[in-house]
Amino acid sequence: MTFDRTKVAAERTIGVVSLVIAILAPAIFSAFWLNSILTQGLILGIGAASLIFLSAYGGMISLAQTGLIGIAGYALANMVTQRVPGGETKGLLLGWDPTLGLIAAILLTVGIGLVFGAVASRSYGIYFLMLTLTYTVIAFLFVGSVTLIGGFSPVAGVDQYTPGFIGNIVADRERLYYIALISAVFVYLLIRYVVRTPFGISFQGIRDDPVRMASLGYNVALHRTLAFGLGAFIAAISGVLYAWWFGQLSPTTMGLDATIQLLIIAVLGGLRRIEGAWIGALAFLAINNTVTNHIPSSGLPVIGGTFNTVIGFIFLAIVIVSPDGLMGLWDRMWETARRRGSPPRDVEGGEATVGATTS
Amino acid sequence: MKLGKWKLLLPLALLVVGATIGTSGALAKSAQSSDVKVAIMTDCKGAFAFGYEVDTAGTIAAFSQYAGAKPKNKKKPSAGMTGGSAGGKKLNIVGIGCGDETPALALKETRRLMVQLGGEVMIGPLSGDEAVSIAQWAKQNPQKTVIIGTAGSQDPTMQIAPKNLFRYHGDGAQWNAGLGEIVYKKLGWRTAALIGDDYSFPWTSAAGIIADFCGIGGKITKRVWTPPAGGDYAPFIRQLPAPDKVDGYFWLVGGANTSAALTAFEQAYGPVNAKQHSGNLFLYFLGANTTVAPRLVGAYMGGFGTFQTGGLKTKQAVQYVKNSSKWFTGQNVNDGFFYNYWNAAWALVQGLNKSGGRTGAALQRALPKTLRPGFQVANNGVLKLDSRRQAIQDQYPLQITKATGTGSVTTTIAGYVPNVDQTFGGYFGPNKPAPGRNYPRCVKKKLPWQGKIKVVKNGVITNQTIK
Repeated sequence: MTFDRTKVAAERTIGVVSLVIAILAPAIFSAFWLNSILTQGLILGIGAASLIFLSAYGGMISLAQTGLIGIAGYALANMVTQRVPGGETKGLLLGWDPTLGLIAAILLTVGIGLVFGAVASRSYGIYFLMLTLTYTVIAFLFVGSVTLIGGFSPVAGVDQYTPGFIGNIVADRERLYYIALISAVFVYLLIRYVVRTPFGISFQGIRDDPVRMASLGYNVALHRTLAFGLGAFIAAISGVLYAWWFGQLSPTTMGLDATIQLLIIAVLGGLRRIEGAWIGALAFLAINNTVTNHIPSSGLPVIGGTFNTVIGFIFLAIVIVSPDGLMGLWDRMWETARRRGSPPRDVEGGEATVGATTS
Repeated sequence: MKLGKWKLLLPLALLVVGATIGTSGALAKSAQSSDVKVAIMTDCKGAFAFGYEVDTAGTIAAFSQYAGAKPKNKKKPSAGMTGGSAGGKKLNIVGIGCGDETPALALKETRRLMVQLGGEVMIGPLSGDEAVSIAQWAKQNPQKTVIIGTAGSQDPTMQIAPKNLFRYHGDGAQWNAGLGEIVYKKLGWRTAALIGDDYSFPWTSAAGIIADFCGIGGKITKRVWTPPAGGDYAPFIRQLPAPDKVDGYFWLVGGANTSAALTAFEQAYGPVNAKQHSGNLFLYFLGANTTVAPRLVGAYMGGFGTFQTGGLKTKQAVQYVKNSSKWFTGQNVNDGFFYNYWNAAWALVQGLNKSGGRTGAALQRALPKTLRPGFQVANNGVLKLDSRRQAIQDQYPLQITKATGTGSVTTTIAGYVPNVDQTFGGYFGPNKPAPGRNYPRCVKKKLPWQGKIKVVKNGVITNQTIK
């Protein structure tokens, strides 16, 4: 067995064990951890996966994903909530069928994502970053300013309106957890599949050298637009799940803090591998919860500050020690082990390991 | 690398994860306790960050006064308390929520306090949109009890009104009752513009002013709403009519932002004429007493139904000040933040005593329908809750004045409006929309207290009415 195959086997083992733990989670974890940390982690992980997909395979670090998550959530909230006595007070309260609302919210988000993507498709680097940040700011100000769809007060009660195939997630929160888990697995497999298709390969080619790809006849802008649309689709899944999980939508869902939070999650997990999205999300939430419960609001000794200070230090450490995040740390560990290994053990079964070195 | 090494890695990693989870209390566990788990929800970030210590002080002071608790640190209320029991059960403060006036963080903190930390009763939140958010949460968690701390949005006890949510103080509209009539009669305003933050509390706050001012015949010619995050107020100030086009302005900009908004006004239109300005509690409270009020001496303003610098000389008010002042140093017990949290905690102690320490539905049935808060005068000093568990309270419009002797700026009571109910005599209602940017409309309508606002002189309520 080659060294790389060993690594793949290890990762698959960990993946399977993680999945088994995830399936058994309701029996293992307390209700709070299941509902607030794990479910939220899966949902935020899906959002971060949309960012990592664009970054890892297209070289497009998009700050619009938070905006797209919020758009999907707001669309769903406005479409499905109803005016009932003792009920909701904000939003359009259209009272649509939840299944119709779900489909419409995702389609609307993908449509907006395609428009966003088309406008940004010829921008690169810092310009792309700024343009996509602008999208999120526009979305934030739009929902805050247009009180008809909510304003700065929350549009609430979204979790009471779910499609029949999902069932009552208010009474049975485990349902939402499993929906989030299935969605996360679906998104993971979808991205893994897409990047292996001809479209995915050419998308990665565009990431590496857009000029060469254009000269070969590929429509670079179209590829980037479509990829952005796919990113919007994934973000929309995260958005509707978030709306159900949180039950309420307010503009801070897509504020600057939330945008930075999603970026931190992606960087924490690793911007080069999809798995990093969920690892980053769970690490972020676990740190947040621990810090909030154990550090007084007056802050840490000497330096003061609270969660933002702690996550700031961790972020700094990650960027310095492992720019590719926790997944990069994992890869580096294996790379170090590989370098320390001897050539005969690195080449087994007659297959050479690419990049293998000896120390 | 030997294959065996990575085989060791996996169990090691699982061990680390397991240890982390275990120490974090993540694993499922069931804890039985004889404590009553109380959570305090307030803000420690944003415009109301100061509320963290003040609100906690009000709560713990009431527990100390009525349940035998003792503050751990008289200068730092958030240090917590020792002792304290009600209905035979120990009062256990499981945590103090740290909000930032946004509904999203309020809900996250509520879940942390009430689910993860096991809170059974919450005293809080502080701010309007937070209360809207938490009222929705309460509706889905009927076994938990919420007693609002000092949030003034109308929705939680009017349109949403879950049965497990109580408010022993007025909403933002009630807090401004009588103000419109006073500026109409005393300052001769007939037209006014208003400017406020664009969220539920200022909308409710404005609703009270509009109902009162328009009810007696005034006209609101312009309503300008600013994003609640604050920042540059200049473009919004420019949307207001110039001082020669309107008789006056109502200010409903929140928290620490009022000063910045007023500065933008002065930059646009020159020094302010205090007789042309009025507003809600943000003209004096929350630090505005040093930044805003000195520029507006003579202006009339709403409040909490309290008096930042004292003033009411009823026996009940004097007794309240005496009781509440002894537990912490440096706390202004006349401040609405302290006072409202105090009353909420006091009501909780009464409820627990009656329910025998039981929480949930038993506590909700046992929570008092009446209370004797310090500044209530009507009904022989008894404040009543309405059918939606919302206080019907007395209100005291204030005037910013210079204190005699010191020359410092203070407030004096300008009037007494008894028994202000949340509906304003039918102006608002559970089947009517919650206040918003354009609601309520400006219509002439007789309110229950119209023409009956009493003059208060030197802290004594007279029989004279405001003319």
